[in-house]
Amino acid sequence: MTNYLSKSVKELNALLKSKEIKPIDLVNEAFSKIEENSYNAFITLNKEEAIKEALELENMEVDNLLFGLPIAIKDNICTKDLKTTCASHMLDNFDPIYDATVIKKIKDCHMIIIGKTNMDEFAMGSTGETSYFPFAQNPWNTSKVPGGSSSGSAACVSGRLTSLALGSDTGGSIRQPASFCGLVGLKPTYGRVSRYGLIAFASSLDQIGPMTTNVMDNAILLGAISGKDDNDLTSSDSEVTHFTHLIGEDVKGMRIAVPNYYMSDVINSEVRNKVKDIISLLEKNGCTVDYVDVPYLEYAIPLYQTIALGEASSNLARFDGIKFGHITDEFSNIEELYKKSRSEGFGAEVKRRIMIGSYVLSGENANIYFRKALKLRKEMTDALVKVFDNYDLIIGPTNTNVAYDFGLKTDDALKCFYDDLLTIPVNMAGLPGLSMPIGFNSEKLPIGMHIIGNYFKEDVIYKLASFIEKELDLDMNPKGGKIC
Amino acid sequence: MLVPTIGIEVHVELKSNAKVYSKAKNAYSNEPNSFVDIIDLGYPGVLPKLNEQVIKNALKACVALNCKINDVMHFDRKNYFYPDLPKGYQITQQDTPIGYDGYLEIEVDGKKKKIGIERIHIEEDTCKSIHSLAGTLLNFNRAGVPLIEIVSKPDIASPEEAVAYVEALRETLLYLGISDVKIEEGSMRCDTNISLKEENAKEFGTKVEIKNIGSITNVGLSLNYEIARQKKLIEDGIKIVEETRRYDDNTNTTILMRVKETGNDYRYFPEPDIPFIYLDKSWITEVKENMPKLPEELREEYKVWGLNNNNIKTLIANAPMSKFLDILNCDKVISANLLTGDILAYLNKHKLNFEDLELKQDLFEELVNMISNNEVSSKQVKELLPVFLEKKISPKSIAKELGLVQISDTNALLDMVKKVISDNPNSVEDYKNGLDRAVKYLMGQIMKASRGQANPQTVSKLLVEELDKIEK
Repeated sequence: MTNYLSKSVKELNALLKSKEIKPIDLVNEAFSKIEENSYNAFITLNKEEAIKEALELENMEVDNLLFGLPIAIKDNICTKDLKTTCASHMLDNFDPIYDATVIKKIKDCHMIIIGKTNMDEFAMGSTGETSYFPFAQNPWNTSKVPGGSSSGSAACVSGRLTSLALGSDTGGSIRQPASFCGLVGLKPTYGRVSRYGLIAFASSLDQIGPMTTNVMDNAILLGAISGKDDNDLTSSDSEVTHFTHLIGEDVKGMRIAVPNYYMSDVINSEVRNKVKDIISLLEKNGCTVDYVDVPYLEYAIPLYQTIALGEASSNLARFDGIKFGHITDEFSNIEELYKKSRSEGFGAEVKRRIMIGSYVLSGENANIYFRKALKLRKEMTDALVKVFDNYDLIIGPTNTNVAYDFGLKTDDALKCFYDDLLTIPVNMAGLPGLSMPIGFNSEKLPIGMHIIGNYFKEDVIYKLASFIEKELDLDMNPKGGKIC
Repeated sequence: MLVPTIGIEVHVELKSNAKVYSKAKNAYSNEPNSFVDIIDLGYPGVLPKLNEQVIKNALKACVALNCKINDVMHFDRKNYFYPDLPKGYQITQQDTPIGYDGYLEIEVDGKKKKIGIERIHIEEDTCKSIHSLAGTLLNFNRAGVPLIEIVSKPDIASPEEAVAYVEALRETLLYLGISDVKIEEGSMRCDTNISLKEENAKEFGTKVEIKNIGSITNVGLSLNYEIARQKKLIEDGIKIVEETRRYDDNTNTTILMRVKETGNDYRYFPEPDIPFIYLDKSWITEVKENMPKLPEELREEYKVWGLNNNNIKTLIANAPMSKFLDILNCDKVISANLLTGDILAYLNKHKLNFEDLELKQDLFEELVNMISNNEVSSKQVKELLPVFLEKKISPKSIAKELGLVQISDTNALLDMVKKVISDNPNSVEDYKNGLDRAVKYLMGQIMKASRGQANPQTVSKLLVEELDKIEK
């Protein structure tokens, strides 16, 4: 079997341009690998269409870096005529009649959609285990969770089934699985990427972002999906810079902050030590690194539960069995239709979150919880943004720990939120955040580092990330072999 | 003595180029579900847009109703399950209504009163449910149609005031041109709430809401019924409970719909899909500067012009006609008489709207000037008008064609007068003996001789002059 999908975007582009390979070779490789071991990364494959498209592209000029490259799409992003399930029984037969804006954009680049990736149901979960379908596995160790909610996209890229994928991140759902699977995953600045066509979990936090094997690919893919969209009022008209333009530049003189909370003993010591190594590396190369106090970070989880779940309870109200999605077989009145369709269609975690969300918005609770949370969110945002008065970037671990065993956290509804302890504040503030691999623990499980930038400063994040990537020169292919 | 306290909530469908949160057409269609966008369906993954025209039209209402403006505003979600609500929530404005703290002046029995406006906010209409034996069908043409809700303060003290308020509101919105305000067709919907209290009591009584009021008349009828019903309960010592009733215009009564439970729990929160709106000052200035004349102002103006009360009432009730009158550069009284008299009669006879006539300003002015210059008699106008309204050509050319020319030349008329006097010595003698009808008879003879073309005013003047010259 060929192993082109371990190569970078630029390498593949050169091969395609010189006609050494054709798009169909990449598509065939992807499907062969999926057949061999898919890690349950996919819910729906787009084989017939993908092959058809690859063949059509043979007669066309390779006009951009992403031309003809296979990509996997998280299954909460609407794809026209291609099933979009949100990993839920509620939508397991849902064929959207339109393409999300990001899908239009990647189709404009002539990228080829290989399939729709597994995830936690409606993106609610941190392990992939709330999926209605067989859970995605971590290619580094299949008894470990790949992280979530973008579990399938992470498993797919980590297993090199495709080298590029889109995920979505509401509280850490790109960065945490990227960290667990040893990938580069970015949650862009809120508004950088259009949310039109992303089936909403928490509208004020959701962002679509790229998941890739390396920093440069990540920046290239971000460039393709960014930009103002008239269909999304929250999308920003902030200029889409060349996200790659600082990659490879000297990091000397960069000012970097490390929140004390991010290095406190809530973090596993192996993870902490790896981050400390990076801090030393940066200092050695002329960066200023300071430990700083950032207030309110410790409230991330209750804040998330109030705001994200409040919004989710409203966003998921449209799934009532009437217009689309699962409808119960028998009912005698409208209330029964709602109750049965929703009870049957949603899984336990989704139901739990809808109930919590409804509770925090209900009557006087709206003041006790939700309105208070909005105030706290503002404070947390101000505190984080203030750091950028004196620093270019904030760094720390992405997660408190590495990937863990399946089933470990399913017994405790609260535990899974703790994975997002360090990533949630970034969503609350709407800042861009990236996770990248910085090494392994003793069990050879990847450890992720978190780089947070100021608004629309993804290019600065990529600058530092590419430097660390180059310095560490890790082999992040679970099967080994950086060279195919 | 028990006195009523009344508040009114009015929903008004706004005219616009598209729906409030989608690009689907905002119009009436006989074809169900023909003006539908995936946004109106609440399709998974879609996000709302925001129609600027709706905000501008709502701003007009706020300015006309003397409201303060929330120039930084946001939208909110009102969450509840109902089949006519596609997203499971309505996008409305709870915390920051576009307008608040305004008033509308009404007049009852010659007395003027300001009714406070609590708030005006923008929201979307729901689908229309059609209940049939086969089940409930949904028509999404109405889903997402822009609405403003206008909530009065509890300043209304009688059913008469309530009717006057709704009527004044309807007129105002009509003149703003932002809505059809047809209560019978649902583009204006009223819910009232009413409580009774002892005249000097500080606290309000328990309020009852009345829905399904299908006409302005019914606003008054339903409130009158409800006052009587509540009075009887109170007199019988029965406690009023907070409840929602609907008006039944067959029986002229209100019927219990539901008793209010612990308060509706709509789980409001700020709509995250629509960012805060910062209303540009230039928008507000533009609306203020381009405010059309509103009924109150027009009434005053009409009085100054010398129009009679009947004409004023007719004109105000017919906004397009009133707007036409406003732009005319000719005698306003003659114009108003023509418009509210012969032209209105013509419209009624042919079941037409004023706009259907497509009256040309210059041609209409030509006609009015012909009348004010005594070129045609009022009798001749009646003959000329239908032809004018049909052919839409110069009234002068019509008059010429029909031979409708008025003779105002004194010399020519004097000959006629003298001839009639000499032909009718008996009438002259009657006149001299003080019988007024002799003048009328002689006038008739002159008009007959001139085939109706003599200017009656001039003839009458000449005739009396000539008669008085004759010695008895």
